[in-house]
Amino acid sequence: MIKSLCKRTRFLTFLSFLLTIFFINNIDAAEGGPCKDYGDCDKFKYSLNDMESLQRGASTYINYCYGCHSLKYSRWGRVAKDLQIPEDIFFENLVFDKSIKPGDLMTGAMSDNSVNWFGVAPPDLTLVSRYKGDDWIYSYLRAYYEDSSKQYGVNNLVYPGTAMPNVLLSLQGNQRLVCKSVPVIANNGGEKRDENGNTITNEKCGFLEVQEGTGELTKEEFDTLIYDLTNFLVYVGEPIKATRERIGWYVVFYFLIFTALASLLYREYHKDYLK
Amino acid sequence: MSEIAGKLFSWVNDRLPIVNTFERHLSKHPVPSKVNFWYLFGALASVVLIIQIVSGIWLIMPYSNTEEEAFSSIEYIMRDVDYGWVIRYIHTTGASMFFAVVYLHMFRGLLYGSYQKPKELVWIFGCTIYLAMMAEGFLGYVLPYGQMSYWGAQVIISLFGAIPYIGESLELWVRGDYYISGITVSRFFALHVVALPLVLIALVFLHLVALHEVGAGNPEGVDIEEFLDDDGVPLDSVPFFPYKVLNALVGIGVFMTVFAIIMFFFPEGGGYFIEMANFQEANPLVTPDHIAPVWYYAPFFTMLRAVPDPLGGLIVMGSAVAIFFVVPWLDRSNVASIRYKGIYSKIALVLFGVSFLTLGYLGTVGVTEVRKTMSVICTVIYFAFFLLMPVYTKYEKTKQVPKRL
Repeated sequence: MIKSLCKRTRFLTFLSFLLTIFFINNIDAAEGGPCKDYGDCDKFKYSLNDMESLQRGASTYINYCYGCHSLKYSRWGRVAKDLQIPEDIFFENLVFDKSIKPGDLMTGAMSDNSVNWFGVAPPDLTLVSRYKGDDWIYSYLRAYYEDSSKQYGVNNLVYPGTAMPNVLLSLQGNQRLVCKSVPVIANNGGEKRDENGNTITNEKCGFLEVQEGTGELTKEEFDTLIYDLTNFLVYVGEPIKATRERIGWYVVFYFLIFTALASLLYREYHKDYLK
Repeated sequence: MSEIAGKLFSWVNDRLPIVNTFERHLSKHPVPSKVNFWYLFGALASVVLIIQIVSGIWLIMPYSNTEEEAFSSIEYIMRDVDYGWVIRYIHTTGASMFFAVVYLHMFRGLLYGSYQKPKELVWIFGCTIYLAMMAEGFLGYVLPYGQMSYWGAQVIISLFGAIPYIGESLELWVRGDYYISGITVSRFFALHVVALPLVLIALVFLHLVALHEVGAGNPEGVDIEEFLDDDGVPLDSVPFFPYKVLNALVGIGVFMTVFAIIMFFFPEGGGYFIEMANFQEANPLVTPDHIAPVWYYAPFFTMLRAVPDPLGGLIVMGSAVAIFFVVPWLDRSNVASIRYKGIYSKIALVLFGVSFLTLGYLGTVGVTEVRKTMSVICTVIYFAFFLLMPVYTKYEKTKQVPKRL
């Protein structure tokens, strides 16, 4: 089987292509990832059918982010409807400007002074999950640390030199960069030990650690908060995403049936000239 | 009732060659009885062409071709237009799928010598279609007016500037402005939705008329016209309808399944079909970290980058496409199909395939020293495949082609 496959030109072509790519990527380290000093971004798995998560995310967004960051392609009423929040409750609790109607775009509450305050205008975030990626947002919002050299006293590992202050500081607490002793890993993958069998350690820096008792939320609670917020941004980046993936199964199923019927018909007609 | 319909039909048919055309090009058109899956991509390409035209018409309705509104009108389509997202994703997925099937269709041509006498014109029309598609794809990519639209267009249009003497004026003439602006967007819109589709349809028509004149090929490279039955129909052929149509229908089913999987589950294609940076509105003041073309231009983009001099790069890139046109005269082999060609042709085709895919990969990632060297090597292999073709096809031992399919 394999022998006959190997004879095939297309198999060889494919194999040599894979080898070439492997070769290029191995002798040549790829450029730094999107999460910069943070290392690899934390993986984020959205759950757009979890309405409670989306509702909490929307609430966090409107309370903490919307003051500066508009969602100008999204409409208030659509968010209420998609997140299954009754319109009266939504408008009473989450829409602070009472002149706003359900069909209005979420154009933001920011005055024109923003450039003077931050150096740059806070960007619109409707599509941030699509051009930055959800992994990036999830990592970025959890990667702030104390840095007195910066204007707002904080810096970010994912986005060094970010212009945005850590708005969620009171919830997260004061996060700092700390150094830790970590075991040295030997070439065989195990921990390196000295003659007495003690683990050899090295001091490594750049770990994020929250000062205990400085934040209102525990680490897990804060991570959940950021999860919900990121989930909401994934939703708002493409409100139809959950529906799209649901309809997709039906369409794929339809074409599979279509293909099956077409091939049965083809086989029937094919008999005409097989003889 | 049916009598009236019959009379009406024959009245029209006396004045318009309906039955003749139908018989000549469909119901009685003979096609080789034994072909493989490689022969499906032509039919699939015409399916995608229709998909693109129809979805394109519906996209034009809500799209706004102005600098201020182009980007937000796309979001309007995605959010506020009923099923606008379906139409938009059909069009973006269709663009990538169009190139995918056309590349496979072209590779089929190289594999089975579909350009050899008397199919030279079929091949040349095909190459021209590919050229028009590249222009069509580029123009369309600018319309959403995202960051990649803007900076991609900036890079491509500035290529014209590398042409000596007339370069700068040409660049200005194409852009219609001193920098890319609403003027560029609206002229690209006109070209994308009217001019090039007309050209494409005309070329596809010529491609098919020429093909039906000389007859479709087969993977054996056998001339089926040699053995005819009493009615003058080739013995190794079947009528296009229903046999070939049903065969294509199975292919279309598989193709549409793949299409739907991409469209509904991976519309961005991991950033290869819709680039992430294109979800940010065009900003002339901020250059994206890394400007990469969509995957289907990537091999040619790599060749452009492989040459340090802009004019040299432009010439290399242009020649890489142009060289396809002369393939019928580069191949000196006495057989058509790779099955009967010698070992040199086989090695050459494998090397060509690998270098083309590698060039494509290199075009989507950043530049480093090793990758630069690799792109030069692959570019050389790419051209060597064509330029050495007269030599290796002439001086290799070929196998005897059977008389019948």
